[in-house]
Amino acid sequence: MSPIIQGIITIIIGVGGCVAYFYFANLVLDKVIFPARGEKAGRNINRANAVRPWIFLFPAMFALGLYLVYPVVGSFMRSLYNRAGDEFIGFGNYAQLLASEDFRVAFFNNILWVIFVPAAATFLGLLSAQLTDRLKWGNIAKSLIFMPMAISFVGASLIWKFVYAQDPDIGIINAIRAALGADPLDPLQIPFWNNFFLMVILIWIQTGFAMVILSAALRGIPEETVEAAIIDGANPFQIFFKIKVPQIKSTIMVVWTTITVLVLKVFDIVYTMTGGNFDTEILPSYMMDFMFRDDGLATAVAFVIMVTVLPVMIWNIRQSRAEMR
Amino acid sequence: MSVATQDTAIRTGRVTRTFIYVFLLVFALFYLLPFLVMVLNSLKPLEEITSGNMIALPQDWTIAPWLSAWSTAQIGVEPTGLRPYFWNSIKMVVPAVAISTVLGALNGYVLTKWRFRFDTILFGLMLFACFIPFQIVLIPMARILGELGIAGTTTGLILVHVVYGLGFSTLYFRNYYAAFPTELVRAAQIDGAGFFQIFWRILLPSSGPIIVVCVIWQFTNIWNDFLFGASFASGGAAPMTVALNNLVNSSTGVAEYNVHFAGAIMAAGPTLLVYIVAGRYFVRGLMAGSVKG
Repeated sequence: MSPIIQGIITIIIGVGGCVAYFYFANLVLDKVIFPARGEKAGRNINRANAVRPWIFLFPAMFALGLYLVYPVVGSFMRSLYNRAGDEFIGFGNYAQLLASEDFRVAFFNNILWVIFVPAAATFLGLLSAQLTDRLKWGNIAKSLIFMPMAISFVGASLIWKFVYAQDPDIGIINAIRAALGADPLDPLQIPFWNNFFLMVILIWIQTGFAMVILSAALRGIPEETVEAAIIDGANPFQIFFKIKVPQIKSTIMVVWTTITVLVLKVFDIVYTMTGGNFDTEILPSYMMDFMFRDDGLATAVAFVIMVTVLPVMIWNIRQSRAEMR
Repeated sequence: MSVATQDTAIRTGRVTRTFIYVFLLVFALFYLLPFLVMVLNSLKPLEEITSGNMIALPQDWTIAPWLSAWSTAQIGVEPTGLRPYFWNSIKMVVPAVAISTVLGALNGYVLTKWRFRFDTILFGLMLFACFIPFQIVLIPMARILGELGIAGTTTGLILVHVVYGLGFSTLYFRNYYAAFPTELVRAAQIDGAGFFQIFWRILLPSSGPIIVVCVIWQFTNIWNDFLFGASFASGGAAPMTVALNNLVNSSTGVAEYNVHFAGAIMAAGPTLLVYIVAGRYFVRGLMAGSVKG
C-alpha cells in the first residue's frame, strides 16, 4: 500500500505547497507591504489589488517560462548544433533532413494524415450526431461511438493489430478475405494504402469527440429554421446540408482544427503499429528515431513540426478566445 | 393532392430510415467489433484463439490471461506483470490531476475576477500549452528533469504533466468563471471578504460541474499519455501505457494474444470507468467549455 501513501504525500506537498504559497504571499501583501491602515489605507488597498493578480499567476507564468518558452527556444538552438552538441553547424541539420528520402516520405505522409483524418473524423462525427439524434436508442449508439475516446492510443493500436493481423485465424480482415476465398495479406505492408489503414485507427478514436461537440451544436439550432424549410418542401438532405450545416459552421471548424492539431502530435499509433516501416513514417514518429541518439536532428524535426502546426494553433487560440467575449 | 404529399412523405421517411439503420449498423460494427473481440479473447485459452475462433464465444472460459497479465507476464526483461506499472500510473495520475486542477481553478479565478492589464495576452500564452506539439519540448525537458535530479522518476512525470495540463485546466475554469456574475464577487468584496474567502465561499461551491470536466479530461489525458512516459520514465518507473507496449513487444516465442488483450483492457479500465461513472457530466461540461453559442 506504499504507493497510495506516496501518492497522498505527493498531493499534500504539491497542493499544500501551492496553497501555502498563495496564502502567505497574499498575507504578506496585505499586512506587510501595503497594509490597509494608517493615512495611506485607501491607496494601499488599490496598490495591493493591482499587484495581487501577478502574485497568483506567478507560479503559472514561471512554469510556462521554464517549460514552454525555454524548451521552444532551447530546441531551436539545439537544432543548430551537430550530433554531439558541441559544434555550431547553422542549418546543417535542416539541410540534411531536406536531402533525406525518409524525411520527405514522412513529410508527405504527414500531409496525408492532416488532410484525411480531420476531414473523415469530422464528417463521420457530424453524420453520426445527426443520425443518432433521430433515434430512440441514439444515446446508446452515442456512448458506443464515444468509447474509443477513453482508450489510450497504445491500447487502440493493440486492438487494431488484431484487425489487421496477417494470420487469417487472428486478423479480422484476413478472416473475411479467407471466407471470400482470397489469400491472406498484410494490410500494413501495402505501399501507400497502409497509411490510410493507420489513419482509420485515429479516425476511430476521434469520431466520438467530433460527434459529441457537433451533436450539441445541432441541438442549438433554432427549430423555426428547420420548420420553415420543411414547409418550403425541402427534403431531409437539403435540410441537413443547406439549413443545419451552415448554421454550425464555426463549431465544425473548431472540431476540425482541434483534430488537426492533435494529428500533428500523434506518434503513438505509427510507433506501435509499424514502427515507421513500410513507408508509413510521419514526422512525430520520425523524430523518435533520433531521440537521444542525434538530438540535433531530432530537434530539427521537432521544429519543423512546430512550424507546421503554428498557423493552425494560432487560429485555434484566437478562436477559443473570441468565443469568450 | 393531400394523398400524394402524404405518400411522398412516407416514402422519404422509409428511405431515410433504412439508410439510417444500415448506416448505424455498419457504424456499430466498426466501433463495437474491436471491443468485443478484445473482451472475448481475453477470456479464452490461447489455443482457442490460434485455432481460428477469434470472434466466437469462449468455449472454455478462463481468467488465467488476466492473472498472467496482472502479475506474471514478461514486461521487457522482468516477469512482473502489469501490476507495478499500474501503481506507477496511479501514483503519477492522482497527484498530477489534483495539482493541475487546483492551479487551474485559481488561474481561472484570477484571470476573470481580478482583471489586470496583460491578462488576455497571458491567457493566450497559456493556451499555447494546450496546443503545442510536445515533441518540441522533449529534449530540453529531459535536460531540465536531469538537472532537477528527477529524470526517469514518477515525480518528474508528475511535474511534466502538471505543467502541460495547466493550459487546459486554466482554459476550462476561465471559461466557466467568465460566465459567473462578477457583481457577486464585488458585493462580497464590499462586505470585506478577502481573496481566498471569495474563492472558497462564493466561486468554489458552484464549481462542481467544471471540476468534474477538468478532472476527467486531465485523468484521461495523463493516464493515456505515451510520449512523455516513453521519453522520461524508463524501466521500473514506466507508466501503464509504456508497460503495455512492452508487454506486447517483449513476448518471447509464442505471442500470448489473450494476455495482451487482458492487459489492454486493464490499461483502459480506469478511464473507461471514469467515463461510465461521470461521462454524462463530462459531455455536458465539455460542450459548455469548448462550444459557446
